[in-house]
Amino acid sequence: MSDAPLLAARDLRKTYRLGRVDVPVLRGADFGMRRGEWVAILGSSGSGKSTLMHLLGLLDEPDAGSGDIQLDGRSVRGIRGARRNAYRNATVGFVFQFYHLLPELDVLENALLPCRVRARLLGWPSVRQAAQEHVRGLLRAFGLEHRLRHRPRELSGGERQRVAIARALANRPEILLADEPTGNLDARTGGEILDMIAGLHRQGLSIAMVTHDPAVAARADRVVHLVDGRVAAS
Amino acid sequence: MYAFTLANRYLTSRVIPLIAVAAVALCVALVVIVVSVMSGFLDMLKSSGRTLMGDVVINYPVRGLPWYQDLIREIESLPEAEAATPLIDTYGLVRMPYPAGADKEVVTANVWGVDPESFERVTDYSRTLHWKPPANRSDAGNMAPDDPRLALSPQIEADGRALRQSGTGEPGLVMGIHVSIVNDRQRDGSYRSRYGWFMPDHAVTLTLVPISGKGTVAEPRERVFQVVNEFKSGVYQIDKNRVLIPLEEAQRMLRLDRGTLFDMDAPPNADGTQPVLGESPARVHRVLVRARPGVDPPRLQAAVAAAYDRFAQRGATDTSRVVRPPAREMVSILTWEQHLRDLIGPVEKEREMMRILFSIVYLVCAGLVLSIFWAIVQEKSRDIGILRSIGASRPGVLWIFLQYGLVIGAVGGVVGVGLGWLVIRNINAIHEAIGQDAPRWTWVVAFGLSAAALVMSGRGARQGRLLPVLLWLVAMVALGLAGAGLLLHRGTLIWDPAVYYFSRVPDQVDWFTAALTWVGAVVFSVLGASVPAAKAADIDPVRALRYE
Repeated sequence: MSDAPLLAARDLRKTYRLGRVDVPVLRGADFGMRRGEWVAILGSSGSGKSTLMHLLGLLDEPDAGSGDIQLDGRSVRGIRGARRNAYRNATVGFVFQFYHLLPELDVLENALLPCRVRARLLGWPSVRQAAQEHVRGLLRAFGLEHRLRHRPRELSGGERQRVAIARALANRPEILLADEPTGNLDARTGGEILDMIAGLHRQGLSIAMVTHDPAVAARADRVVHLVDGRVAAS
Repeated sequence: MYAFTLANRYLTSRVIPLIAVAAVALCVALVVIVVSVMSGFLDMLKSSGRTLMGDVVINYPVRGLPWYQDLIREIESLPEAEAATPLIDTYGLVRMPYPAGADKEVVTANVWGVDPESFERVTDYSRTLHWKPPANRSDAGNMAPDDPRLALSPQIEADGRALRQSGTGEPGLVMGIHVSIVNDRQRDGSYRSRYGWFMPDHAVTLTLVPISGKGTVAEPRERVFQVVNEFKSGVYQIDKNRVLIPLEEAQRMLRLDRGTLFDMDAPPNADGTQPVLGESPARVHRVLVRARPGVDPPRLQAAVAAAYDRFAQRGATDTSRVVRPPAREMVSILTWEQHLRDLIGPVEKEREMMRILFSIVYLVCAGLVLSIFWAIVQEKSRDIGILRSIGASRPGVLWIFLQYGLVIGAVGGVVGVGLGWLVIRNINAIHEAIGQDAPRWTWVVAFGLSAAALVMSGRGARQGRLLPVLLWLVAMVALGLAGAGLLLHRGTLIWDPAVYYFSRVPDQVDWFTAALTWVGAVVFSVLGASVPAAKAADIDPVRALRYE
């Protein structure tokens, strides 16, 4: 594991406006993770942990003039357009608490979606076979080989989350950003998902995982405590 | 690629897009049906005009065109002309053989004196003869067993073609199928005898009023003609008004036949007769000209005008003839389309007006797609958030919904054109059905289904669900109203041939309009989709994913 941070954030601030009231969610949060590290961001509800994850994944913008986000030492805070989309598509992979699979697509199509977004129209035929082999391999490894043509509504919660993880890994991202990946699952299924994430971590994947559960956070290499929009302890 | 896949899935996995497709299809079908009927009407008008009058008409009414045989020879030598025929066009009275007794029916008629042989070459007149035996076994097989034509001999057709009565050689008369009241039109287009009368078994008395050289009305002349056949041009107004007689008979009755011209101002000869000035040639009111294949009417018109100039010049310098052809300015030379301009022009304008008015349908398409897509985008905002989180660009999201609109417009348009085609091809059968009382089974079925819907509504109520109750109640009311409508329906004549000229509703699809409407439906569906698509592209992925 290298000491240089793979993903680093400094002095991130984020304020939401609710009606006429400004609600600060992040108040100068700092974050850093090394390549191959599994970092848990632990915090109670409203502490800003999901917002931090969205900012790290460039899904959202920090307040104007606040902080910076760097990947491999290069600032990615201001990137726009195609580069920003490419970052979300291939540099990071998101896993959400509620799986967020597209109900109209089957398991294989859901997991392949980032590859198709990346390939766009004309490139898809040339990369299709390789992408399908890779994604099928992931789904096979996650025990979903027999579910490839099933729709999300036909799957259990654990199976859906495994499909979501396969989708997040479809483009071989450097970092997995998981937002409460076990938050919607029972303890046993949640444990299985954590085992899977641990397996990915052992294979060298860098993981940032948001959770409110200290027991879940304890599975990570390092825990970052977020309190009132600031990192309280690490 | 993902945009196409998603658009396709959104289309096939939900009911709402199918409703949008159905709405677009109905709009397109509406335009295709209405404009096709109008275009068909126009085409029938034009083609019937051409069939009945040839391509170019030379008119010199009332006094008649002298030396027309020379003109016809001049015209028939033109490379543009296929054939030319002389024509007398006047009005007269026809005394019918019915009813029994002395007080016979008299009708006014547009009388055409024609030369059957050349008239046939210009207008294919014999095709319009109605009373003729079937040409072959296949034709016979298509006729109803009680069709009187099955029992006819070929002679009746020959008599009709020649405008002569076989055997006696006397001139015959062919009248439009609706001139008399004895022909009862059947659904299949054939006719049955009404009151036991068959016109070719009878003679009529024709009265014509000649016009003197001074332009005054001369003594009316009447003559009995044997009806030798009846024709059906398809144009109701013509079939109801026109009768055909041999040219020379018409000329004789109108005093337009060949004669001798006397000098009435000079003192009489020793034998008491007036001095002869020269020959008074036979005259006709019109010369109809048919173009050779591939020659358009305006080109023929120019050639005929030049030929007339030559004919008039020759006539003016021919000292052997006393009577000279009228100057070019006195004669009108018109294409069949110009001749029917008064009729065709307004109908063309009406059709264009229809096209413009019905383009409102495009706005309906756009509005429908917009409102349906707006609801879909609201519902699919989470999916859009997911797509953005995995790197889909805003244009990519926009493109999903634009493609969605494109597919709805294209599929709806194709279905609409198909529906329009189906209705148009069967429009006469539909018209016939509307024209009669609804069969008992239709309203019995409608009321039965309405009762079944009521039962289903009660079932929904027992399950404590409001939506099925409401839907079944709506179905019950709709079916009940349909049943009541069918029960009370009495045959309605929508396409009155007396108003619309033709006895059949046009049943050909106007493919140009169909293609134009399809393109319009696609364009406006995409335009309608563009607003919700832009809204979808602007969805904040964080907000879309935050709320579950």
